Amino acid sequence: MTTETKDCFTIDGKLALPYQYFAGSTGSRFIISLREEKKITGLKCNKCNKVFVPPRSTCEVCFEDISDNWVELPNTGTVTGFTIVRYEEPHQPLKPPYITALVKLDGADTPFAHIVKGIPFSKMKTGLRVEAVFAKKTTATIMDIDHFRPVTQRPGFELGYTYDQLEEGMSASFTKTISETDVYLFAGISGDFNPMHLNEEFAKATPLGTRIAHGALPQSLIAPVLGMKLPGLGTIALEVTTRFKAPTYFGDTITATGEIVEKLPERRWVRMALTFTNQHNKLVAEGSALVMPPVPMDKE
Amino acid sequence: MARKVGICAVAQTTFQRNKWDQRFQNMALEVLESLREQTGVDFSEKKGIGMSISCSDDVFDARTISDNGLTDLLGGHFGCEEKIAQEGIQALYYGLAAIRSGHVDVVLLLGHCKESQGQSRNMVTHLSFDPFYTRPVGLDYCVSAGLQAQAYGERSGITDEHLARIVVRAREKAAENPLLPDTERVTMEEVLASKYLADPIRELHAYPVSDGSVGMILAAEERVHEFTDTPVWITGVGNSMDRFFLGDRNLGANVALKAAAKRAYHRAGITDPKSAFDLVELSDQYAYQLPMWMEGLGLCNEAGGAKWVEEQGWDRDQVNLSGGMLGGNPLLLGGFVRAAEAALQLKGEAGTRQADKAKTALAHGVMGPAGQFHSVVTLKRD
Repeated sequence: MTTETKDCFTIDGKLALPYQYFAGSTGSRFIISLREEKKITGLKCNKCNKVFVPPRSTCEVCFEDISDNWVELPNTGTVTGFTIVRYEEPHQPLKPPYITALVKLDGADTPFAHIVKGIPFSKMKTGLRVEAVFAKKTTATIMDIDHFRPVTQRPGFELGYTYDQLEEGMSASFTKTISETDVYLFAGISGDFNPMHLNEEFAKATPLGTRIAHGALPQSLIAPVLGMKLPGLGTIALEVTTRFKAPTYFGDTITATGEIVEKLPERRWVRMALTFTNQHNKLVAEGSALVMPPVPMDKE
Repeated sequence: MARKVGICAVAQTTFQRNKWDQRFQNMALEVLESLREQTGVDFSEKKGIGMSISCSDDVFDARTISDNGLTDLLGGHFGCEEKIAQEGIQALYYGLAAIRSGHVDVVLLLGHCKESQGQSRNMVTHLSFDPFYTRPVGLDYCVSAGLQAQAYGERSGITDEHLARIVVRAREKAAENPLLPDTERVTMEEVLASKYLADPIRELHAYPVSDGSVGMILAAEERVHEFTDTPVWITGVGNSMDRFFLGDRNLGANVALKAAAKRAYHRAGITDPKSAFDLVELSDQYAYQLPMWMEGLGLCNEAGGAKWVEEQGWDRDQVNLSGGMLGGNPLLLGGFVRAAEAALQLKGEAGTRQADKAKTALAHGVMGPAGQFHSVVTLKRD
């Protein structure tokens, strides 16, 4: 669009109509199953056995009313067609390039259009086996299936929450009982053979009266939270600070908790508040962490 | 037997990337004045135009009742005025039905579109998808065409090389067409190096955004000679609509086009389409569609599209001498312009692109994602 204003006038149109479409009772049930139970459903015609996804209340072949004949479908299917979208438009669900594919779920007869991630463009092909990855946050649309990914690829690796998916107030924790073995191993790892941690007779003579764990040992329990839970796999920790509030004795069960307290939009980092409590809910340490949440890796 | 219907006159503006200095009314007036000049037709109650059918689209025009701004041009104060918001060849079908049913004798067809005024044609076609299952996934006609091109490519063996040859030839023909003054010739190398839009479709494989207007006068057999000495008769028409969801369709298989062609051929009494037409005008919005539609129409062998391209069958079969849609016509008018070009050829008024001794022709229109809705019109002259 070019605007020539030297010789004539043009007026900028800004048509946009926020609108709510009623999905109908059949469409609503499909979306509700997706949203509430992460289940993909279809409607089956008992006369011709055709299974429709997205659902349709009437079989287009037999003209039978099939609106009550719901069937549950697996999350796996096969790609029947695809293209790689490289041009950019405001209505696209993500920034190009990305793969738009027709996916036929196992047990369904009608493929439907969706996004496929997690495969290099050069490896994309019809016949590819894919599985649905559900969105972490619902939008109550077909995008409650966030995308499909190859069934065999990166088994068990699911990246944690991205910056956009994180919200202030989200929290996660990890709990572990600190044993004598943990303390001895930690002494070996750190080179800290201080008798305060290793020699009971020495420790009896101190104000604490018994051996205690290294201060950094309960503190280290925040690592599995940040790296594997919140934000989760793919997170890079930039800064962790702690203040020790009480000793950890052998046999204590420590819970390390991280909570999102601030999103930093400029760098797309998040700040988290950390607490470490024992089995008596006594605060043994507190602190804060600055982390870089995972960035989607679905690039060519 | 219902009466025959003839195309008496055809008029077109140039089709350009951006007619920024014209409103759509200006473009349409240019066409109407040409039609009046050619035929002397007017809107008088007894002898004049009995019905006007305009072709425009509320979304492309970003206004409700897009024909409202044309009431005067369409004689809407005097008689019947209709609008179709579909590919323009439907106006021809509608006009044909109105005359054959005996309702009117003379019909004005007038289509216009300024694709350049929208931020993006893809944003317009995105709106033809349902809001629940397909819009959230970001579908529009371009990504749909990518899915179809991939499906047809796997089935037909059409390669990047074939597609480049189609584009080079289309631009060559378009450059010879004075109605397409913005055309630039391209080389094989340029096409093969052009950026991908939706693989395997490249930028140069896609029809350019354009502005323009086209019109026709149709008349009943007994009135035709009041307006022209060289009428072109509509001998057959056929429409067919495929399913809505792309996944419900066999995208590489031309289901709707075959059905539309069968209807048109049946009405025209054509049994061997390969030998039935002296020239053909196809709506090739994307390069892959030219051989695909040839197959679907039965004008080349099934799965013979690649071979047809290699043999440059377009010269032998006189396909898209106008440059086709790849030369640059709006989505809304692609088939309408094809019918107009075919009629001009049969009337002997195609100027620099005139074919030799053409007596029969086929014009094809398509709308909807990945060729969902096809129209086939067969024409002949006396």
